[in-house]
Amino acid sequence: MNTAPARPAEIVREYGPFDGATAVHGVTHDGEHVWAAVGTRILAIEPASGTVKRSLDAPSDAGTAFDGRHLYQIAESRIDKIDPTTGHVLASIPAPGQGGDSGLAWAEGSLWVGQYRDRKIHQIDPETGRVIRTIESNRFVTGVTWVDGELWHGTWEGDESELRRIDPHSGAVQERLQMPPGVGVSGLESDGAGLFYCGGGGSGKLRAVKRPKASTTA
Amino acid sequence: MDSLIAASARALAAGDALSALKRISLRDDPPALALRGIAMAQLGELPRSRELLRRAARAFGRHEELARARCVVAEAEVALAMRELGTAPRTLQAAVASLEAHGDQANALHARLIDARRHLLLGRLADTADALQALEGRALPPALRAVAELVSAEIALRWLHTRDAQAALERARAAAERADVPALVGEIAEARAALDQPAARRRGPDGDQPLRLDEVEALFDSGALVLDACRHGLRAGETGLPLARRPVLFALACALAEAWPRDVPRDALIARAFRTRHPDETHRARLRVEIGRLRKLAAPLARIEATASGFALRPLGERPVVVLVPPIEGEQASLQALLADGAAWSTSALALALDTSQRTVQRALTELAAAGRVRAIGRARAQRWLAAPIAGFTTTLLLPSTLPLT
Repeated sequence: MNTAPARPAEIVREYGPFDGATAVHGVTHDGEHVWAAVGTRILAIEPASGTVKRSLDAPSDAGTAFDGRHLYQIAESRIDKIDPTTGHVLASIPAPGQGGDSGLAWAEGSLWVGQYRDRKIHQIDPETGRVIRTIESNRFVTGVTWVDGELWHGTWEGDESELRRIDPHSGAVQERLQMPPGVGVSGLESDGAGLFYCGGGGSGKLRAVKRPKASTTA
Repeated sequence: MDSLIAASARALAAGDALSALKRISLRDDPPALALRGIAMAQLGELPRSRELLRRAARAFGRHEELARARCVVAEAEVALAMRELGTAPRTLQAAVASLEAHGDQANALHARLIDARRHLLLGRLADTADALQALEGRALPPALRAVAELVSAEIALRWLHTRDAQAALERARAAAERADVPALVGEIAEARAALDQPAARRRGPDGDQPLRLDEVEALFDSGALVLDACRHGLRAGETGLPLARRPVLFALACALAEAWPRDVPRDALIARAFRTRHPDETHRARLRVEIGRLRKLAAPLARIEATASGFALRPLGERPVVVLVPPIEGEQASLQALLADGAAWSTSALALALDTSQRTVQRALTELAAAGRVRAIGRARAQRWLAAPIAGFTTTLLLPSTLPLT
């Protein structure tokens, strides 16, 4: 696997830690709010003010995704489909990593699930949980997002953490944004424009990272 | 961290070790091994816990130095709880360095405190004080602060600084209440109660008077020449003469102190020191030699004057002489009083100090150990005996702060 040269990630803003939350496990964006999974709740945060606008009670241990209508949330070894207006769990499917899952994204009618220590990304059927295909990474996967046809994943091994753009077919690393030492990424989502939102694991923080110009449409 | 690890860690942090285990009991990846180890420690399964934490530390990759260091700290704490103190502290030191390099101050401080407690359990008071010194001025989380103050109280007690000990216990209590760990609050209350127990008796013409530890300290501070039959020595203010390993000299000093200000006839001294009622010339010669030795050793504290019929103790500077004996009679009380100096004693040294057989000492120690009053370190010939700390330290309750949450 070829390795692209790394550039430093440009952190433009930090949010949190949030009241009563010790960690951010997953992040998604619904076009308006950033949602952050903090263990027992999913918080909707207004990006401009940083205030928590809403909070859903839900076990939320890893990645979070949004398909335009529903939230998907990894809890223990399953993926819950949640109505964001009521907080009701509408359906659950088994997570492909059987609890070793970390990172969740929605794209092209599929869910994309990171399998943390196994360094894999699975594309699965959101109705049944059936694995459609599997991409191999060479780093722990701690967050997954699609933006403008690009597949990005967060990685975090020990002290080193990066955002990586990979070839969705071969898994080859095409671009690397290096986080500062000791700053980890757990949960990754693009806002569809110029920013990535990254969960900060046990720091309880949420960070906005500038998406590189070369690959933005703006 | 993946989803089940996060869910399991959340359960563990909420004190639900069983549901934490349920989620990861079949997993053998390093974070799962570490969490299983910590859950097992909370359930009191210490040997199993240590094995799991050791496996986790080995299994973390070279990129995961921080997680590995946290496992080493947790394993060291479990070893401490098991009173297995033989493990190489180098590993712990390396973990401290690694934690500090990674900015994990809380666990680094936790590791340093484990080091201090290990020294304390080994009876190395000076090393314990040094290790505590390294924590001074650092912002400790309340539970760690409580334990640090408890260790500091223990040292102060061993050095007979009861006011310092009381102040440290007061700080420990406040911190334990802030930390809201009931078991720790309970231990500190027990330690405080121990301060009010009689620690010794002052022997007087009208019988013995029980003294608390602070009264013992006040007695030493009063400048009196104290014949301390608890720790077997002579002491005046800051100057002390340990006689625990010189039973004959101690017996002579005892006889002289008890008779003060009168003298003691030669035959009485011989009977006491050499245990014979039929002294001959060789005994008298031996007495002269032993008195000569005692005189030389005691010179900074007292003179020993020859009188017409024997010898008399004459403290320097017109000090009164006071005799201090263990709080209750018997072999066990004497043993505990000797061990109260915090040092590690061999059975033979204790037998020598008490002028009794090793077998008798061994029997008394075994009974005391069964009651948790003393403890042994090492094996066979290297075995040493120490007083139990005033509090047992609720070790496993502190483990959640070493969670490998990366």
